[in-house]
Amino acid sequence: MDKILRINMGAAGGPQVKSEPIGSYAGLGGRGLTSTIIAKEVPPLCHPLGEDNKLVIAPGLLSGSAAAMSGRISVGCKSPLTGGIKEANAGGMASQMLGRLGIAAIVLEGKPKDGTLYKLSISKDKVDIKPDNSLKMLGNYAVTEKMKAAHGDKVSCISIGQAGEMKLAGASIAFTDMEFRPTRHAGRGGVGAVMGSKGVKVIVVDDTGCAVRSPKEPDKFKEANKSWVAGLRKHAVTGQGLPTYGTNVLTNVINEAGAYPTKNFMWGRFDGCSKISGETQAETENARGGEGSATHGCHRGCVIRCSGTYYDKDGHYLTKQPEYETVWAHGGNCGIDDLDAIAMMDRLDDDFGLDTIEMGAAIAVAMEAGVAKFGDAQAAINLVKEVGKGTPLGRILGSGAGLTGKVFGVERVPVVKNQAMPAYDPRGVQGIGVTYATTTQGADHTAGYAVTANILGVGGKVDALKPEGQVELSRNLQIATAAIDSTGMCLFIAFAILDQPETFQALLDLLGSFGGQKLTGDDVVGLGKSILKMEREFNTKAGFTKEMDRLPDYFKKEKLAPHNVTFKVTDSELDQVYNW
Amino acid sequence: MMTIGEACRLPDFFSRVVSMDAERTPRLTLTVTPGGISRFLPLLGQGFTVKRPAGASVEEFLCRGCGIAPDYLRDRVQTVFLNGKAIDDLAAAVVSDGSTIALSAAMPGLAGAVLRKGGAYAAMHRQISHASPGESRASGPVRVSIKLFNLVASELGPGFLAQGVLIGGADLQDYFRRQDRGFWKIGRAADIDGRPVDFEKVPGIIPENGLVLLALRSADLQSG
Repeated sequence: MDKILRINMGAAGGPQVKSEPIGSYAGLGGRGLTSTIIAKEVPPLCHPLGEDNKLVIAPGLLSGSAAAMSGRISVGCKSPLTGGIKEANAGGMASQMLGRLGIAAIVLEGKPKDGTLYKLSISKDKVDIKPDNSLKMLGNYAVTEKMKAAHGDKVSCISIGQAGEMKLAGASIAFTDMEFRPTRHAGRGGVGAVMGSKGVKVIVVDDTGCAVRSPKEPDKFKEANKSWVAGLRKHAVTGQGLPTYGTNVLTNVINEAGAYPTKNFMWGRFDGCSKISGETQAETENARGGEGSATHGCHRGCVIRCSGTYYDKDGHYLTKQPEYETVWAHGGNCGIDDLDAIAMMDRLDDDFGLDTIEMGAAIAVAMEAGVAKFGDAQAAINLVKEVGKGTPLGRILGSGAGLTGKVFGVERVPVVKNQAMPAYDPRGVQGIGVTYATTTQGADHTAGYAVTANILGVGGKVDALKPEGQVELSRNLQIATAAIDSTGMCLFIAFAILDQPETFQALLDLLGSFGGQKLTGDDVVGLGKSILKMEREFNTKAGFTKEMDRLPDYFKKEKLAPHNVTFKVTDSELDQVYNW
Repeated sequence: MMTIGEACRLPDFFSRVVSMDAERTPRLTLTVTPGGISRFLPLLGQGFTVKRPAGASVEEFLCRGCGIAPDYLRDRVQTVFLNGKAIDDLAAAVVSDGSTIALSAAMPGLAGAVLRKGGAYAAMHRQISHASPGESRASGPVRVSIKLFNLVASELGPGFLAQGVLIGGADLQDYFRRQDRGFWKIGRAADIDGRPVDFEKVPGIIPENGLVLLALRSADLQSG
């Protein structure tokens, strides 16, 4: 990948496309590249929806190669939700295609002079941007159908739904999957609103005629990839648990631990959890049958296949298999124990282009305010539909849990840096609370997800009984995650590399043989640290202070049942996360 | 990979305990298609009750009391909860009357790593860890609720279901109510306390209050 495609949406005479060499950004991919471009090129104090913000879409370092699991794509910008730097990533087909086209990043810059909506097409020989107002206020499903009619189903689409066009802070960017459905989303932080502010509705990526990217050392690469796939397949999590049940396998376990946020984080356990668990979901999907039911990949080259396809009671396609966070956000967090209703909300979120975590959290806050009753599935569905219609209530909800809490006067609003917390109560698992509080991204479970401590020689040596142990663990997890986010690798690889040193070595060999250089664990740590440092500096210049690295006050005061715990990590301990 | 039979060899006295319970609770025996047994596995995530001699550690209770192979418990079961608290030392934690034990295979993500017994991230679950020192060991039989999750349910569940598990009648009714039309096609026969009943009429016959002893038979074994 040797070029960056810049599209200046505010150029005189209409959008201008410029392809330039990757230059000083060489060697970067995924989050490493998006965050570096944002940190270097975007004024930290700019308005997130203004002309000075940029939207960067970057495949991972290995995307487009034959490396298994390398199809994640990163989206970066200054976030309209948090006001800080943002990286959100997704699966789908675009990452591999952009990689094969040799494009390290698409950068949308400037701002169109009027409300014209554009369609951007990228192929081997041509980059084309044209006005297409016929796409206005279409959902992602309708947009992809139109693109299929025009381009066939061998291309991939990157698009926004109504939420992105309305520039709502909970808007996502959709990436089409292997079946050309807009089901994979860069969800967090309102990246879809930034795409909407640039006036781009859809990007069609066509890699026809492009070859798979070649490694510098093909024999070593092939061998490493073989070991890599074998390692993933033999591990209990990546080879069995995730393919069988999907990410929703966590529901029963987190609930049992008393860390399952229930009814807007009021309790740590949900009575109806087994009705929406991954086990029940997989059984339901398998029983209903249909192609790709309970085990399916989100992109070509995925060997874990933790996704699936959710058909309704009559056997009609409804949505992809809802993820753990989605099932929680629209399920337990709203007191809803109906899988079909949750799947319907997942479908609506994907169609309108909404972050399912933010949307579920906003509805739960609204339920606490009395807008609807906890447990009322139909009311929750109707609230999601309000967003699609663009009603005032829908715009409030689509702007996130923080705004919803302010509008309705709710104190219990589970956000950090205005981004809603995911499906783990920080009082139950305090180390995750440290990550929620201190990550550059706002409350985000994936920011400290790469469980690689023993392999990287970090994190596993701390005293288990000291509070600062939680801080050191979170720090090292955040470093490792930032590095993995740059490779284009799915974060679910982490378990296999945690337990199997030979699998971690295979990953290093994959990266090393692809670029023709030997990589060590120290190199990975160094990359992670440099990304976090850059992101942190951007946020500081954007006005973030250490006082924003905190959980909402009520987590320190309200005891979480059933274990009656509060968040115990002190502010001064939290302030140590970035001291390395 | 360990077979179901190897992973879970239910001890002889299990049948006696089941019989004891069966004297006081209705015994529902369902014969279903071989593939139909998996439809009941999510039910085991809600929990079922077993009765065993007291005075046991979690490890003893599960291995000697429930017949789970020690190496299966050590290697396959990666997270164990006692009363909702993650356990690192199964030999030290004591089971008492009314306890709930939950078993899970390895889980993804940070939370999965954190909740793992004795894992590199055990420090991160200290707020919800089970503390063992000073626990007294009760005498006499104890009733314990067991929850089986994910792959553990797939591998141990059929064995427990074949022997019979005690489940709340209301939970069972609710479970049947939620099933799609296709569910009823897996039924081959049903009886309550030995009296044949129509499979589709089972939900209406189950008592809502109290426990039901649910046992599953596979239609191929039945015919064989």
